[in-house]
Amino acid sequence: MQDAIPYGSARPWFAPPPSSSSSSSSSWGGEGGGMRRMVAENPVVVMGRRGCCMCHVARRLLLGLGVNPTVCEFGDEAAGEAVALVEEVAVVEAGGGDVRRLAMLPVVFVGGRLLGGLDRLVAVHITGELVPILKEAGALWL
Amino acid sequence: MNFGKDQLQQDMMELYVGYLENNIPHLEHSRSSTSSFATSRRMGIYEPNHQIGMWEDSFKADSSQITCASTIVETDMKLDYMAELEDIPRKGLGQPKKYDQETSHSSDKVLRRLAQNREAARKSRLRKKAYVQQLESSRLKLAQLEQELEQARQQAVYIGGHLRETNLGLSGSVNSGIAAFEMEYGHWVEEQNRQTSDLRTALQAHASDVELHMLVENGIRHYDNLFRIKAITAKSDVFYLISGMWRTPTERFFLWIGGFRPSELLKVVSSQLDTLTEQQKSAVSGLRQSSQQAEDALSQGLERLQETLSETLTCDPSGTPGVTNYMEQMANAMGKLEALVSFVTQDGCLIASMVMNMHLPHKADLLRQQALRQMYSILTTHQAARGLLALGDYFQRLRALSSLWAARPHEPT
Repeated sequence: MQDAIPYGSARPWFAPPPSSSSSSSSSWGGEGGGMRRMVAENPVVVMGRRGCCMCHVARRLLLGLGVNPTVCEFGDEAAGEAVALVEEVAVVEAGGGDVRRLAMLPVVFVGGRLLGGLDRLVAVHITGELVPILKEAGALWL
Repeated sequence: MNFGKDQLQQDMMELYVGYLENNIPHLEHSRSSTSSFATSRRMGIYEPNHQIGMWEDSFKADSSQITCASTIVETDMKLDYMAELEDIPRKGLGQPKKYDQETSHSSDKVLRRLAQNREAARKSRLRKKAYVQQLESSRLKLAQLEQELEQARQQAVYIGGHLRETNLGLSGSVNSGIAAFEMEYGHWVEEQNRQTSDLRTALQAHASDVELHMLVENGIRHYDNLFRIKAITAKSDVFYLISGMWRTPTERFFLWIGGFRPSELLKVVSSQLDTLTEQQKSAVSGLRQSSQQAEDALSQGLERLQETLSETLTCDPSGTPGVTNYMEQMANAMGKLEALVSFVTQDGCLIASMVMNMHLPHKADLLRQQALRQMYSILTTHQAARGLLALGDYFQRLRALSSLWAARPHEPT
């Protein structure tokens, strides 16, 4: 698989192994601003809860397009930070508590910007808009 | 009380026989015991002292016949014993000497016998009255139960009638959400058939684009309706939806996450289109490819879910740390299945996993909906009308095949 990330900051060790049921509960939120940095430094980031199968769907879809997304999976401890980050980047009108906001996950960032949740990802893919977006962010090139 | 045991036994025997005499003709059960008792009685009256043993023997021998008498009578007989025990001392005390006198033996005995018979008869009349009262109240209760049963039956027919309207066999339990869905789906199919034939008529009559546009809009909205009611039902009965039991067997043959594959739907829609421009052709081809990719991603997500759920249920120490007992395991698995509203446990994968489990069929439906919409956006109105017709036809034929298959003559296994 081609190395599709041009910024050169896709450090394999930065992202946990995607096929993990990783027994280590170390979270990325533990390092202050770790998530933020990841999003900024990687062209395509899929962020979701550890073991979330929708995360897997998003990742497989992107992989199928030739993109190698950085996957950020976190546990309970970092959930708050993840939600905060997403809310910052997007205009979120979520009313209720943590759960509703968490239901937005997984989310996909492209080029440091929030693309949206899985629904949005599939929608833009079906309409054919996804590939241009990925190319523009430098995550894909022919 | 100071009376001999023999005398007590003898008195009790006589009283008992007298009672039976009065009651046996009225009872159906203990017919067989009449004759032997009658014989014993005759023997016993005249020679009680010598016949006690014989009586006891015959009594015991016939005890099996006695027990076949009704319960009411048996209980009453027991009460009788108790009652008579109290009477005996008086009677016994009253006439202990008469037994020893030969001259007054017969007449005294007869007198005493008659008195006892009257007593027994009175008691039996009381018992009969009680028995009849019992019967009366039982009859009332029976009438009540019958009425309740009739009401329940009527309700069951009402519900069952609704279920039978749909074309599937729910095995018994009436889940109101599922029943409602099936009813709605039944109506949906009827409407789809109507729309399909309307499309066919319009196309054959070369209707204008304006008319066709309205039909196409209705058709798209109709599919949206299906996805909507599926989404509602998925909240409570996601496994039922995924099982596809609400569809005919042949439709079920093609089942993918609770419905048809988007790629299959697109293939059917484009099958009848021979007038595509080059631009359209490439757009359709691109759409089919995207749809296939999304389909594959969802399939892999489903597999992943199955894996994680399976891991949760097997006692794999390297899998989920900390799951040391059955209850925890079940709780974890349940967590993966249910849509929880609150945070659970230290195992962080719970919530998202199962919220997503509920969403997988929804995502699949979304993909179907988006794929169809995108298809129609590529096509002209006329083409879209033909595409919708092709889809409606396809489903009709598939369902018809189901009926044919079910009705085929085949040898019983």
